Amino acid sequence: MPPLARWLARRLTLTLFVLWGAATLAFAAMRLVPGDPARIIAGGVQANATPEVLEAIRTQYGLAEPVPVQYVIFLGRLVRADLGDSYQLGRAVSGVILEQLGATVALAAGAAVLGFTLALTLALLTAGRPRARALSRALEFCALSTPGFWIGILLLTAFSFRLHWFPVLGNDGVRALVLPWITLALSIAGVLAQVTREGLERALEQPFALTARSRGATENRIRLRHALRHAALPVLTLSGWALGELLAGVVVVETVFARQGLGQVIVSAVNGRDFPVVTGVVVLAALTFSLINTGLDLLYRAVDPRMRQVAL
Amino acid sequence: MPPSDDSVTRVEERPDTPVRKRRLRSRRPAILLSLAAVIAVAVVAAVVLTGGDDDAAPVAKAAAGVPVAGGTLTYAVAGTQVSLDPAVAATAVTGLIDRNVFDSLVVQTDADSFGPWLAKEWKISGDGRTYTFTLREGVTFHDGTPLNAQAVKATLDHVVDPATKSAYAASLIAPYKSARAVSDLVVEITLSRPFTPFLQALSVPYLGIQSPAALAKPVADYKPVGTGPFSYVSWEKDKRVTLKGNPAYASPPGNATHAGAPRLEGLVFEFVSEDATRYGALTSGQVQAIAGVPPVNAEQLKKTPGFTLNARETPGLNYNLYLNQTRGPLRDVRVRRALSSAVNVGELIKNVYFGHYKAVRNPLSAITAAYDAAAEASLAGYDPAEAGRLLDEAGWKKGGPDGYRVKDGKALTLIWPFWAEGNKEQRDVLAEGIQAQAKLAGIKIDRPTVDTGAYVSDYLIGGGYDLIDVSFARPTPDVLRFAFASGNTYAKAGGNVALVDSPEIDRWVQEAAETADPATAVRDYASVQAKVLKEAYVLPLYTPVQLVGLSDKVRDVTFDAQTYPVFYGAWLGA
Repeated sequence: MPPLARWLARRLTLTLFVLWGAATLAFAAMRLVPGDPARIIAGGVQANATPEVLEAIRTQYGLAEPVPVQYVIFLGRLVRADLGDSYQLGRAVSGVILEQLGATVALAAGAAVLGFTLALTLALLTAGRPRARALSRALEFCALSTPGFWIGILLLTAFSFRLHWFPVLGNDGVRALVLPWITLALSIAGVLAQVTREGLERALEQPFALTARSRGATENRIRLRHALRHAALPVLTLSGWALGELLAGVVVVETVFARQGLGQVIVSAVNGRDFPVVTGVVVLAALTFSLINTGLDLLYRAVDPRMRQVAL
Repeated sequence: MPPSDDSVTRVEERPDTPVRKRRLRSRRPAILLSLAAVIAVAVVAAVVLTGGDDDAAPVAKAAAGVPVAGGTLTYAVAGTQVSLDPAVAATAVTGLIDRNVFDSLVVQTDADSFGPWLAKEWKISGDGRTYTFTLREGVTFHDGTPLNAQAVKATLDHVVDPATKSAYAASLIAPYKSARAVSDLVVEITLSRPFTPFLQALSVPYLGIQSPAALAKPVADYKPVGTGPFSYVSWEKDKRVTLKGNPAYASPPGNATHAGAPRLEGLVFEFVSEDATRYGALTSGQVQAIAGVPPVNAEQLKKTPGFTLNARETPGLNYNLYLNQTRGPLRDVRVRRALSSAVNVGELIKNVYFGHYKAVRNPLSAITAAYDAAAEASLAGYDPAEAGRLLDEAGWKKGGPDGYRVKDGKALTLIWPFWAEGNKEQRDVLAEGIQAQAKLAGIKIDRPTVDTGAYVSDYLIGGGYDLIDVSFARPTPDVLRFAFASGNTYAKAGGNVALVDSPEIDRWVQEAAETADPATAVRDYASVQAKVLKEAYVLPLYTPVQLVGLSDKVRDVTFDAQTYPVFYGAWLGA
């Protein structure tokens, strides 16, 4: 087997292990939270479900079985990739997730592109330029220390409620996505810009930068062709973190901008003890993380020739 | 460049770098500074424009006009829902939406009177156990199924079937035994005991009459199909529900202001849980109406030209504090009355809500039938001296640590769980005021923060609390039975969280629910109100108010007995 294939096979095994671990943790967490799940599934505190209704719920969802038995049934289903039906919605979990996935992916992917672009642009323009850097750093610190919730409200007030440039509600496609994208992008752009600039400044001090300048390369060429490649490694490493931030951020952004998506699904599923939906979203998130990390490791090898020589 | 010369080994050389870099820089664009300045100015300008365009769009204040048909009204509501089946859901927003899709057998026309709707007349047997409804002729469901006695039977059987997992509707008609189609349009409903709140229960959207053909489908394919003025189009989860006008509508309730089809072509409910977003969507014209105007914006909306604030007190149980009379110090009526006298409710409500909510002295809201103003005389009103005297008499002496009173070496401590998820209307702030005033009287109130699961299992069912706060809107005095009958504890799907166990109260609420004589019912309900205040099982706080914000373009929205907006007659003006 070629080394790359062996490496990929090992990563796949690890991914399966991660999925099992994530699903088990979700199972344990949902059973450890206090309270009778049947009652919460029946509608929470305000509900006036009769004991017969609660009994029907326990029987239907197997909540009366001992926990180890529930776990075995749970794992059996998971192996068959059967996520089951949502308790609250009475529909297949895969359907519920697929239906909402598009909205969340559009939001998160757009925000990721915008966030990385913003961070790279700021870093390229301000690295090694003390006054511009000071201003940019101040903005970055503002962005990363202001809660996304508040940024969202400010943007809405200014650009939707006052200027009417962007709608909050309705089906205006991309126009309705602009403010959520900016809100979410700002939550990652601050940190990414700081890290990229650090890397760029370090690279610009290297002898190779001096050599390039002596050959007459323009500043733009030095920054884009030489320094950026060196600065890219720590940024790649941070991408995993950025993905986590984005996933956490969509919950807030979807609430503030009244959007539908997985963030809303997971919040109402956790509150309503909708085990199958919680498990489905957790498994999906774990899978995304694993795949993106594998992709990043492949990218490292493309960016940094030294990594190709490291034993696989 | 050698591979070892990586960033890590170069870190130590940083201190001298700025000088070198400045000298070596090839070019130095000053674009960035100006760009940043432009962005900053744009943002500031946008924020400063506050209110500018609100004046720019002057709308004539609802000049009386001839209703025009057409147009889509968008109504933004807080919260979301998990089921569109009114028989299943307990969420208020489901009732609000389903009200437009489903008609009920009868309509509540006032605090305690009912008019014909899908039933054109009805008879109640002498023993109060049999209700016979005669249905309107020629009414069809949105799917074409005719309305008949079988449909009524199917709806009620669906509600009480445990497989439906009804969270609310079934509890409203607990005495329901069976329904029988006497003829095509005559249905006879039998109850296991006389139950006068039955008509009121039948009038709410949760018991709207559903198409039997739609109910026969599997749960996963459920679609709400009724006979109402609007029919269901789509539900985008957590986003919106879209309805369209039913041109064939022919069954408006007895108190409707017009006949025939609804004037609106479409009716859209947007779920916008964030208060600031919902409010902004209204004032910027992106929606025409919103539910739950934040109290802090209420005054501002009133003053904004082009908008109307509609404030309606809810009927039923006020927002009350219930005192668990089975546990600890509150077993002693003197301690309960002392707590009641220690808290200056009027002053607190005024300070927290700036006059938008009214302080009350009765557990029942004033617009509920059988509300008895005279009962307030039994309330232990604000009187710190009296509170001190009662506590002394009950053996709780001054001089404990932090000024709390003690008895047998124990401080006078009450537990009032804080269920953060259910917090609304700044109730947490009000609670802090109550805590502070109780402290002045030497009573310590602990507020552990709990999540939904613990709140239900450890507190509401486990009984580990001394105080619980809750409101419950329903336009019938029968809510007194829900809140104070010994058989209606939370564990038994009721609202008796003070855990009152009084044969007298049980007899009164039972008699009031069964008697055919309205005067007897009124007398019984008055006795309950006086008794629960005299025993200080409950400390009334305020009447919740539904604040609906409307653009002046929206005309002729009316409100039903439950304070839900009714869109049947609504239309959009210029």
